Amino acid sequence: MQRHFRNAIVGVVALAAALLLPTAVRPAAGQVSATGQAPAAAPAAARTPTPGQFPPYRAPRTADGKPDVNGIWQAFVTADIDVQDHDAQAGPHPDIMGAYGAWPGGQGIVEGGEIPYKPEALAKKKENADKRMVVNISSDPHRHDTGDPELKCYMPGVPRANYMPFPFQILQTPHAVMIAYEYARALRTIYMDASDKSIPKEPPADSWMGWSNGHFEGDTLVVDSKGFVPYSWFDRAGDYHSDALHVIERFTPVSPYHMMYEATIEDPNVFTRPWKMSFPLYRRMEKNIQLVDFNCTEFVLDFLYGQYSKK
Amino acid sequence: MRKRVGISSSALGIAAAILVSAPIFVYGQSSSGTAPSSSKAAAKTAGKTSANPAAKTQSWVAPRMADGHPDFSGYWNNLTFTPLERPAKYGNREFLTDDEMKAVFKSGVKGSFDPGAQGSEDRYGGELFNPDSVDYDATTYGLSPWQNGIQPNSRTSLVVDPPDGKIPPLTAEAKARLATRTTPGGGFPYVVDDHHGGAVVHADRAKDLGQNTSCVTQSGGPPLIPAEYNSGLFIAQNPSYMLIETEQGSEFRIIPLDGHPHVSSNIHQWHGDSRGHWEGDTLVVETTNLRPDHTYRNGDFTTQKITETFRRINAQSIEYKFTIDDPSTWTRPWSAIAPLNASTGPLFEYDCSENNNDAVNILAGARASEKKAAAEEKPISQK
Repeated sequence: MQRHFRNAIVGVVALAAALLLPTAVRPAAGQVSATGQAPAAAPAAARTPTPGQFPPYRAPRTADGKPDVNGIWQAFVTADIDVQDHDAQAGPHPDIMGAYGAWPGGQGIVEGGEIPYKPEALAKKKENADKRMVVNISSDPHRHDTGDPELKCYMPGVPRANYMPFPFQILQTPHAVMIAYEYARALRTIYMDASDKSIPKEPPADSWMGWSNGHFEGDTLVVDSKGFVPYSWFDRAGDYHSDALHVIERFTPVSPYHMMYEATIEDPNVFTRPWKMSFPLYRRMEKNIQLVDFNCTEFVLDFLYGQYSKK
Repeated sequence: MRKRVGISSSALGIAAAILVSAPIFVYGQSSSGTAPSSSKAAAKTAGKTSANPAAKTQSWVAPRMADGHPDFSGYWNNLTFTPLERPAKYGNREFLTDDEMKAVFKSGVKGSFDPGAQGSEDRYGGELFNPDSVDYDATTYGLSPWQNGIQPNSRTSLVVDPPDGKIPPLTAEAKARLATRTTPGGGFPYVVDDHHGGAVVHADRAKDLGQNTSCVTQSGGPPLIPAEYNSGLFIAQNPSYMLIETEQGSEFRIIPLDGHPHVSSNIHQWHGDSRGHWEGDTLVVETTNLRPDHTYRNGDFTTQKITETFRRINAQSIEYKFTIDDPSTWTRPWSAIAPLNASTGPLFEYDCSENNNDAVNILAGARASEKKAAAEEKPISQK
């Protein structure tokens, strides 16, 4: 009984300590100081950060006590061109596009450098890359056989949506974390309430952006997604998946202005083993930051359906 | 020991205070629809009763966010049997009798089995959508209205102002604009009756099919108006933002609630630029920055301002009102109330452009018709 009581006290003290631990305040876009208050004295000179290293950090909390991942975020990698290492290249049609159409080089985001393709799947990836601009739209599923979905302004899928060169907004509620992507106005609902019986836990239908359940592990938002259509790609290099794709994403706040993103990709039809990608996400800090339209369907109508247009 | 107990009890106090102040979130579609809350909130809600007889305000308290403002989060549906404009037979009468309301609801439910009933004077779609659109029998898709949480509405029309329930007359400028079917400021071609198989004026290229059939935009407003199917809405809200997802076309609007200024007038968006603020328990959302080719009812993007108000009136519904102020298009501002009724989730992804068979088939059909017509015009010797 006594021991019980003592344990209870220890528990309460630990809880209080956790609650009283100073927690960062979510920065407001456009504000220099994270607290919004002028420092009482001149601050100590900060150390120049080392890339890849973040000092220990505890994320701010929402009103319901969860790590606060709200904000407008963006990746600054070139993975949309190729998730693996790649040189800069002229891009399609330099004859009319000049440097506008050129693609930057970049280092890959794949852990270990190489995606562990099955041999036949690697051949398919290469075929995808060769035919990435061959688009033949029909009124049947063969419309998806060729051509990079990005070129057609189709929904980018997961994980590609997170490293398109466009911002996305995370809007967090106790029941759902919404991820709204500026690119092609793709939207994901991450269901956070495992006790809500009205929402299926397994994908009720396949979709481009997948069916996602989420939870927090410490400061990390963990998102488990499946139920994908087999049509989205990972990049312009033809990296792809099947409808067996299973993605586990980890969004971990590591500073007021950064989250580390990690995705574990499983697809036994295409890969010999699960593999990982990771990169930082940056909080967009313009004081007037908001998503604006990039409804690219408008821009590709003749490109998609030109073969059926009046000549 | 005493000291330790002292520390722990104050810690307990802090923990308890935090737990007590923790917000309680209840989704709109929750069947119980009740949440423990402060008596102050209950008193606030009890004073406001709806004209809707379905209202149950006795034991229900509006769910609130952590900051104390009402929480509209959840699944909603704005399908309705109430016409936008008041049918002539009701004259200046604003409300139906109970018997009339039951009859309208019954005929609406029955009509959802009967494609021919869509577009009749008594249906919302009658005025707004193409009356010849007979391809959306709601039951074809297992989307019978009563399954989507449609509720009886005692109003004779959604338009509540002007008092005659009619949209005010167009200005001379707007009449001229509509007659020429031009889009102020250019942009997407003007297709008034943009509908599947209904009133495609010509089909030379995908753009001619209009914004809806070409999957450029299908819903989302503002204002939020019912579609013929997929009228599901999902609202996710926190103290800083409200996101409204419309199932038709899987489109969304993100509305900042922190009062920061609109984007510059050089930016034009499919769903405009919305800002929300609170007036008591009512959320007021003002939208500007519409596109020249995507205003409500072909208004003028330089003058059209849309104001929406959201007010939780009972467990089953949000009173959603919109006011259109567009002095170069209508002779006066006008308002409509189109209730959002609690529904069940989830919403499903609507991959429109990704599977746009209509665009392929309509264009290919037009080319085939032209080829056939050309062949018929040829002299027999050349056939």
